Amino acid sequence: MNTNYLYLIIFAVLIGETDVEVNLSSVIPIYNEFVSVLLAIAGTKAILIAMFYQHLKYEPKSLSIWVIIGLVIASLLMGLSFVQLHVGH
Amino acid sequence: MAVSSTQIQFDSLFGLFTYLAIVVSIIVFSLLLYFIVRFRDKPSSRPPEDTPILGKIPPSRGHARSVVITVSLSTIILAALIVGSFGAIDNILTPPQQVCQGCAIEVTAHQFYWQFTYDNGTKPYHALDILRVPLGQNIRLTVTSADVFHDFGIIGYDIKTDAIPGRTNTIWFRPDTTGNFTIQCYELCGPGHATMKGTLMVMPYTVYMAWYNSTVVH
Amino acid sequence: MAEQLRVSARRWLYTTNHKDIGILYIITSLFLFAAAGILAITMRTQLSAPSNTLLNANVYNQFVTVHGLLMIFWVLSPLAFGFANFIIPLEIGCRDLAFPRLNSMSYWFFLFSGVMMILSFFFGAAPDLGWTLYSPQTAAQFSPSIGLNLGAGALILMVVSITMSSINFLVTMFKMRAPGLKLRYMSAFPWAILVTIFMMLYAFPSFLAAVVLLYVDRAFGTVYFSSIQGGSLLWDNVFWFFGHPEVYIVLFPAIGIIADIIPTFARRPLYGSKYVIGALVAAALISFVVWGHHMFVTGIGIASTKLYTVTTIAVSLPFDVIVISLIETLGFAKLRLKAPALFALGAVANFIVGGITGVFLASVALDYALRGTYFVVAHFHYIMVGASIIGLIAGLYYWFPKITGRMYDEKLAKVHFVLSMIGFQVLYFPMFLLLDMPRRVVTYTPQTDWGLLNLTATLGGFIFGGAQLLLFYNLYRSSRVGPLAGPNPWDAWTLEWALPSPPPPHDFDVIPTFLADGTIRFGASPGLPNGASHPSEIGYPNGSSTLKDNSQLHLEGLSPWPVVMAFAAFIFFLGLTIGKPANPQPVSYEPFWPLIADGVILGVISLFGYSREKFTVHEDSHVESWPFKQVPNMKLGIWTFLGAEVIFFGVLIGSYFFVRTNDAAWPPAGTLFDIRNGFAMTLVLLTSSLTAIMALASAKAGNRSGLIVSLAGTFVLGVAFLYIKAGEWFSLGGSGVFQNYSLPATSYFITTGTHGVHVFAGMCMTVYLLANAIKGKYVKGDHVAIEHFGLYWHFVDIVWVFLFPLFYLI
Repeated sequence: MNTNYLYLIIFAVLIGETDVEVNLSSVIPIYNEFVSVLLAIAGTKAILIAMFYQHLKYEPKSLSIWVIIGLVIASLLMGLSFVQLHVGH
Repeated sequence: MAVSSTQIQFDSLFGLFTYLAIVVSIIVFSLLLYFIVRFRDKPSSRPPEDTPILGKIPPSRGHARSVVITVSLSTIILAALIVGSFGAIDNILTPPQQVCQGCAIEVTAHQFYWQFTYDNGTKPYHALDILRVPLGQNIRLTVTSADVFHDFGIIGYDIKTDAIPGRTNTIWFRPDTTGNFTIQCYELCGPGHATMKGTLMVMPYTVYMAWYNSTVVH
Repeated sequence: MAEQLRVSARRWLYTTNHKDIGILYIITSLFLFAAAGILAITMRTQLSAPSNTLLNANVYNQFVTVHGLLMIFWVLSPLAFGFANFIIPLEIGCRDLAFPRLNSMSYWFFLFSGVMMILSFFFGAAPDLGWTLYSPQTAAQFSPSIGLNLGAGALILMVVSITMSSINFLVTMFKMRAPGLKLRYMSAFPWAILVTIFMMLYAFPSFLAAVVLLYVDRAFGTVYFSSIQGGSLLWDNVFWFFGHPEVYIVLFPAIGIIADIIPTFARRPLYGSKYVIGALVAAALISFVVWGHHMFVTGIGIASTKLYTVTTIAVSLPFDVIVISLIETLGFAKLRLKAPALFALGAVANFIVGGITGVFLASVALDYALRGTYFVVAHFHYIMVGASIIGLIAGLYYWFPKITGRMYDEKLAKVHFVLSMIGFQVLYFPMFLLLDMPRRVVTYTPQTDWGLLNLTATLGGFIFGGAQLLLFYNLYRSSRVGPLAGPNPWDAWTLEWALPSPPPPHDFDVIPTFLADGTIRFGASPGLPNGASHPSEIGYPNGSSTLKDNSQLHLEGLSPWPVVMAFAAFIFFLGLTIGKPANPQPVSYEPFWPLIADGVILGVISLFGYSREKFTVHEDSHVESWPFKQVPNMKLGIWTFLGAEVIFFGVLIGSYFFVRTNDAAWPPAGTLFDIRNGFAMTLVLLTSSLTAIMALASAKAGNRSGLIVSLAGTFVLGVAFLYIKAGEWFSLGGSGVFQNYSLPATSYFITTGTHGVHVFAGMCMTVYLLANAIKGKYVKGDHVAIEHFGLYWHFVDIVWVFLFPLFYLI
């Protein structure tokens, strides 16, 4: 399909997801679930922008490695710090 | 001569580590020295066949076997150390629930002195720089800081813990000999860091209780 | 003409040649090594007797802090990267790094950052809370003097230098290897450098975030590190998360050097080289999950202490493999015990002691006694000095003939070795026995009976320090009058030894080829016409592939913009941090606006000059570039940079999470922020991503008006974002909404502020691109700049995609 149309469709999806996020608190009462779903939605937006606007879907897979390693390492920091604060005291 | 429960435990674990360290060092250093001496360049020694030369990638050399043996032996030794450490840390981080009256003391670090608070009677008693404890009893200290990041340690007792503002850390020990021991700060906290000292005074239980009762405000 | 240029200021200030920059790094770091060493010897003298009064506590604390900072950041890594700069392009068969001007900028940022660190001594006080800068003693209320501000500025400049270098070396090593040189054929030193720069790329942004947060806390009154919810533990985590990979970053290059020197002098290949490489990679990976061992007694809970005990003890396994492999390399060898080999073997011996004592400290139970004592000091000096410095000195002797063309004095070097090794043991071994003595104390009492051990250590310090004078003398004198060394005095196999000593400016006449049978071909391919270049040649800045005149080439590749840019950054940060405390409580600092303004103006000029300068580096498609074969160098560099940015923003967001989950009284959603603002900003930024990608589509399609409209739209939307953001800042700041919520205020202002700076930078780029687009650029197949801008801009958008729900909706 014409790439310009693809960009517009992605854009529409991103706006739609933002709308969902803003109205989500009334739908999901449990706080932890709410936060998890919000982050998951944000994650899908990020993936869409990365794959289509940053073109990662069409680049060699190796190019994604830099941000993937970054995400893994950042998660380690956050995860292990969380364990430190809240586990096993 | 035993100084404290923490010192006994430390000496035992440290002793294990030191013993293994010496054994491993002797083996590895002997190997290193032997190889250096035996295979050094002498007129009589033949040039090796796989000498790397300019213009050719050096041939691959070595067996996976060496890695396997090294890793296996090391893992066994290290596993012993981990097991010993886990037992010890379980002990260190499990303070006794019940301690005798006057044996639960709050330690507050300040720039640059120590404050010891005994909860007795209606009003807590604050002592500065001198921590009195009875011999042979389990002592539980809850350590915190009033200002910056300090560290409370007792020389000879092989125990310390960080004194962090807004948090409390608990350590415990049983003094096994009377006398005076130096308390020092072990985290750089400012210009007064080196002089931030205190004294741990270990005295017989009766002497301690006499002093403790004299501080109680009725 | 060539001789004239050799010593001209213009050549050394403007050079972008990797060999020149390598020499600059080596000389600067050796100078700073001497400076930090003098600090150390003074401290040792102070400590040689109890109750000594040579230094008072204030001065001592500054000395011990600056000694640590200088050695770790301004000596160990730069010395290693001086070698890397000179040698790596030669060993992988290319003529320079991927981005030569960026390389020059790295050096000048490094130099000015060091100047700034030393300047702090002369502006009242240097940082004085240990190189580890623990909180909250580093908060303005406890440390009002500007020393820590200057220190923070110096560290920020230094991290910028390192990040630029990491990106440069990563692109170079992946994209510019000689034909046939697969990654697995590289020797230990290039591999060690490759692993090191991976660690640098992902560890340093955490440190940068920590220092930025510390500076903002001090200068603007935010409370990340002075609050209880953040405070000591937040700094500890963010700092040591960087700090532990950092100590491997300063060690691995030396290991790589040792692992190349020993086989060379043993005349046999490295034993189990693929396992040595694998061990380096494994250790680098594990290094990111051991940092909690620096926090064993902070009260992190028994589960965490056990976890970190296991990971820390596990990380010793790869090092076991490396040590055993190095020893086995000597088997049935013909070991020539020249200075490089002696120092390499000495480093291995010290490393064994240092590594074993590290295992002691890995046990949380033992750490309850050993934390903060001289046992720790001894352990890390055995590694950082005993293995790393000694290993780097081995490299110094090893590559001296290649760099200078002359041989050093071997006898003097052997004396240097004996004195260094003896002095080192006498200096540091007694410290293991001082396991009750606290670190960083200016003095101790006679009652402690630590005097004899301290005196012994000081004696060792004088021997060790004095021995280094022999090094400086040897190198200086030999560089002047030493006997000429040929291309390969050691009979080594790596590519640098195929070139003359010193190599000509362009390094290789013809790039070597690694053939399938393992041989390396130097010189032209027999199938090509006479005089024609080998198909794998990389072009010169002027586009030609052969060189007629040495002096001609010296003039190529000169650029003034790196040093000017670095100077601009230097005076900008100086202005930011030099201001005296204005109020006593709460402490606030007056920035020095003239320097800040000058820095900005000079910076804008140099950015402009940099982008307008005609400086071309040709990329070659015939070289080895797995796994990034289809990816142009610049794009690879940008993605590498974005990887580092993930960590930087990850730490900022992580800090917010840290304090928020630690605080029961956080205001619920809707209390502080107007969701409509956040929603509007999100829509604006998402639309700007659309216009940015449309700009690229227009450029590719040759549509000039479409490009201009899209770029203008991106600009307008970005400005709209900043406008709404500014409005929100002003209204929140003035309204008192944050009155009782200083932590929410802190996390909000810092996180959205850093993001806003990134948006602003994007706006500046848009203006530049727009100006060029109006002139007709980018629509004739030259649209890469639009694409690169887009990569950055979409990343900034992605960060906001996360910030929006995290601040406005939860």
